[in-house]
Amino acid sequence: MQAQEPLTILIAEDSAADRLLLSTIVRRQGHEVLTAANGAEALEVFRRQPPHLVLMDAMMPVMDGFEAARQIKALAGETLVPIIFLTSLTESEALARCLEAGGDDFLAKPYNQVILAAKIKAMDRLRRLQATVLQQRDLIAKHHDYLLNEQRVAKAVFDKVAHSGCLSAPNIRYLQSPYALFNGDLLLAAYTPAGDMHVLLGDFTGHGLPAAVGAMPLAEVFYGMTAKGYGLAETLREMNAKLKRILPVDMFCCATMLCLSFQRRTVEVWNGGMPDGYLHRIATGERLPLAARHLPLGVLSPQAFDDRTEVQAMAVGDRVFLLSDGVIDTTDADDRLFGVERLQQLFAANREPDNLFAEIEQALHAFRGEPRDDVSMVEISLLEATQVVPSTPVYSDSGQSCPLDWSVSFEFRGATLKRFNPLPYLLQLLQEVHGLRTQGGAIYSVLAELYSNALEHGVLGLDSSLKRDAAGFASYYQQRNARLEALQDGYVRVHLQVKPQGAGGCLVIRVEDSGKGFDVARVMERPLDGVRLSGRGVSLIRQLGHNASWSDEGRSACVEFFWEVKA
Amino acid sequence: MSVVTEVSPDGQKLTISVRGRFDFGRHQEFRESYERLNRKPDSIVVDLKDATYLDSSALGMLLLLRDHAGGDDSDVRVINSNSDVRKILAISNFDKLFDIS
Amino acid sequence: MTEIHIDREALSVLREVMEDGYPELLDTFLADSESRLDELKKTVDATALSEVAHSFKGSASNMGAVRLAALCQELESEAKNKSPLDIARLVADISSEFADVRPIYEDERQHALTH
Repeated sequence: MQAQEPLTILIAEDSAADRLLLSTIVRRQGHEVLTAANGAEALEVFRRQPPHLVLMDAMMPVMDGFEAARQIKALAGETLVPIIFLTSLTESEALARCLEAGGDDFLAKPYNQVILAAKIKAMDRLRRLQATVLQQRDLIAKHHDYLLNEQRVAKAVFDKVAHSGCLSAPNIRYLQSPYALFNGDLLLAAYTPAGDMHVLLGDFTGHGLPAAVGAMPLAEVFYGMTAKGYGLAETLREMNAKLKRILPVDMFCCATMLCLSFQRRTVEVWNGGMPDGYLHRIATGERLPLAARHLPLGVLSPQAFDDRTEVQAMAVGDRVFLLSDGVIDTTDADDRLFGVERLQQLFAANREPDNLFAEIEQALHAFRGEPRDDVSMVEISLLEATQVVPSTPVYSDSGQSCPLDWSVSFEFRGATLKRFNPLPYLLQLLQEVHGLRTQGGAIYSVLAELYSNALEHGVLGLDSSLKRDAAGFASYYQQRNARLEALQDGYVRVHLQVKPQGAGGCLVIRVEDSGKGFDVARVMERPLDGVRLSGRGVSLIRQLGHNASWSDEGRSACVEFFWEVKA
Repeated sequence: MSVVTEVSPDGQKLTISVRGRFDFGRHQEFRESYERLNRKPDSIVVDLKDATYLDSSALGMLLLLRDHAGGDDSDVRVINSNSDVRKILAISNFDKLFDIS
Repeated sequence: MTEIHIDREALSVLREVMEDGYPELLDTFLADSESRLDELKKTVDATALSEVAHSFKGSASNMGAVRLAALCQELESEAKNKSPLDIARLVADISSEFADVRPIYEDERQHALTH
């Protein structure tokens, strides 16, 4: 049996003989004894030198034991100071009154040493238990404060990384708790140089810092590559590779990534492990689910990663709606799930598309009561291309040593055409010419259009008239992927020439392909028109660039850009 | 015991049965069920007949198991999933990594 | 019927616990008891009587004075119900019981001092 640790015990007893006897017994058991002859004295002694335990006579003059006990308990506060009443009241009466007064046990007279020792031991055990609980509670509270502070710091760093996004664009509506990051929820949006919009809604496994820490490298890749003009597939590949490399095996990031093109009126989608997104077609009211066809990011090796996307046609006013699983998983007081069915009901009941977001928010609130931290929703509408105005990037170099008289030619062949997108490199090259920087968006759009025409219609031989309607659209892109996979021969050549001209300069872009060409005269006859889904983007090239011309039976396209240096 | 293991007599097949909620609380038990074996089994079966719930940490645990069992060369099957579990595995496209039935 | 006045067992335990402090304990008890007896004789109010009797009972039982304790218990519980005459009689009984056991405690004291 473990030896009892010596305690300081206060004995409050008005009978001198009893007090003497009890003190002796308790001292013999190894404890330090403080004495008091009545309740008031007991309080005084308690204040001066708080004991570990109190033996209190119930009936005392001046202030009786019960009142003294109440006051001592109040003084002790959170700390447990056990009080054992000394009484020769009858058993049941004694117990009731003792407990009412806040006493923890009672000892009958005549005093029995063995029983007394046992009760002291038991009460001391409780006292030490309470002390441990308080100590641990304080430790936990302190750690919790550290944790909150760490999160605050991490969030501040992350906000700097994510600041260059365009979530505040007029066509984006979103809902996200400020600390969603620490539930793994991530929402990113940025313009490409061509004026397209990349959006990513992600959901990392885990909670707290481990969930947030993966978001930063991911965001850097997203913003960096989007700004340079990389497409969805390349950006996804890079993000997947990065996460696979840096995250532990059991951590990954479910994500839906979109590329919304206002010029081409399309949305390109990749969904890895997220709940269905929805493409809402205003004209028909149809809500097309954008289901997960891929594993989350960070699971597959770069070799096994599947970057195939799906492309859907959109009309002005159509919306894409994405949500994290916090929405579906919201539970009510009885642990029932909000579920996909309720969401579908809200969709069906919605009359005014602009109100859908608010309606869902309200429904979630009504369902659960308090908002969850991991409910993230975003709605992106397709606007007219002219309504979208991305801000121009800022450069830090002076321009004293920029190249003004040069030309370069590339030929991309067969296998390279399958996996490599040269556009970001070409754009970067052209950004070295300061005079061209303000037209970066237009140049990129034109280059992208010329290149994709050369590749898709030229090398792959796809018929652009397939893109006449929504169904044909899907079929077009499926064929594109299939033919690209099977491609062996063919080439796309890109020639760039920069020459000084007057006070500024001129850029000539020529793109050639190994395809069959097309009837140039017939296409040129069509009026410049930006509404139709199909068409070789010829309109776009003619509107954004100068002196656009086609030769070699349509296999070669040429367009110019000019700039002037203001005095 | 919410994670129960059974090894075939010839030591070639390991069956791991998970009961109740397959979530973060099962992490240690689940790892121990395959890490402590004397010889690595050729095939592993995860039986979810009595599993009521599966979340993303369970998906993570399956990835750890697959990695331990040889990654792309592994043979890991997930059997007897109920419809809720099946749905979660489907959305995350885990049928591309595991044989799920 | 022989009634037990003093529990000898209890006394030997007290002797063993108090060791050198035994005589002091005995002295304290005897002095306390005398002043309590005085109070009992003087007090008229039933509640006050009960309280003093309660107190006396406590120390009497600790000291092994079994019959004394029993008498005090009776006074404590019955003080409200008894007539002044009956109370006086009970107090007299207590007084006489104390007188009977007093020599025993004095003996104990003597014995402890010399051994």
